[in-house]
Amino acid sequence: MVVLSAARWVRSRLTDRFWRVQEVLKYARHFRGRKNRCYKLAVRSVRRAFVRSTKARREKKRFLRALWITRIEAASLEHGLKYPAFISNLVKSQVELNRKVLADLAIYEPKTFKSLAALAQRRRQEGFLAALGDGKEPEGIFSRIVRHHY
Amino acid sequence: RYVRQLQRLQFLFSPTAADARGARQFVEEAAQDFARQHPDVVLYVSPCSGTAPLVRAEYLNGTVREELIASKTSEEIVQLVTKLANQSGLDIIRIRKPFHTDNPSVQGQWHPLTNKPSILTVQGPRLQPQ
Repeated sequence: MVVLSAARWVRSRLTDRFWRVQEVLKYARHFRGRKNRCYKLAVRSVRRAFVRSTKARREKKRFLRALWITRIEAASLEHGLKYPAFISNLVKSQVELNRKVLADLAIYEPKTFKSLAALAQRRRQEGFLAALGDGKEPEGIFSRIVRHHY
Repeated sequence: RYVRQLQRLQFLFSPTAADARGARQFVEEAAQDFARQHPDVVLYVSPCSGTAPLVRAEYLNGTVREELIASKTSEEIVQLVTKLANQSGLDIIRIRKPFHTDNPSVQGQWHPLTNKPSILTVQGPRLQPQ
């Protein structure tokens, strides 16, 4: 017998309301107050939490960069250099290390960081000589630019 | 050499339930081909009436993953089972960092006394007052 439409006296009951509610409450379990127990309050809180987490992904990048800069500044001050001098002289010596790697080196490889600080310091001195000395002295060794032809 | 992380697949469904029709078709038709293509995986088929049809995947690191196959066609079950076979048993959560090392520091991790003069750390023989 082919039944094209359900019989009119059969009405379906919602049987998995519990699981639908749990789907939302499982993301609210670590919240504070009634919004970790009551569905009506939890729905609002969970939605706001998701929206905030989406927006925060852009801020996370800014936050981490600021953290790296703070750490590099602290490490370079230990070696007697300020952060702008350190970064600008590293860039001028064609050392293309980003702030994440520099922060990791400062934490886990302190001797490497010390040598990088010394390199930046030397390049800084050569820059001063080139700007103030004017002419007769030969160019600094670390001021040479290597051009790679790929 | 590649070692498949999936150990065994257990198909639990009842022979008469309506939502297990796809599972029955899969076991009749596609299970043999799947077993031939994946010789490392052991397939167990057992009847259990009264519960929803599900496929249980056990991995080499001990994780057991259960997936419902109620009201799924045979092709969908084939896709699901190939997906399970290609997974490893690691739990599916957000990976915090895409890298991991057991030895992060080669030169010794920084501590507040690394760049200070060594007079602060070295304890020489105690000088007696003369």
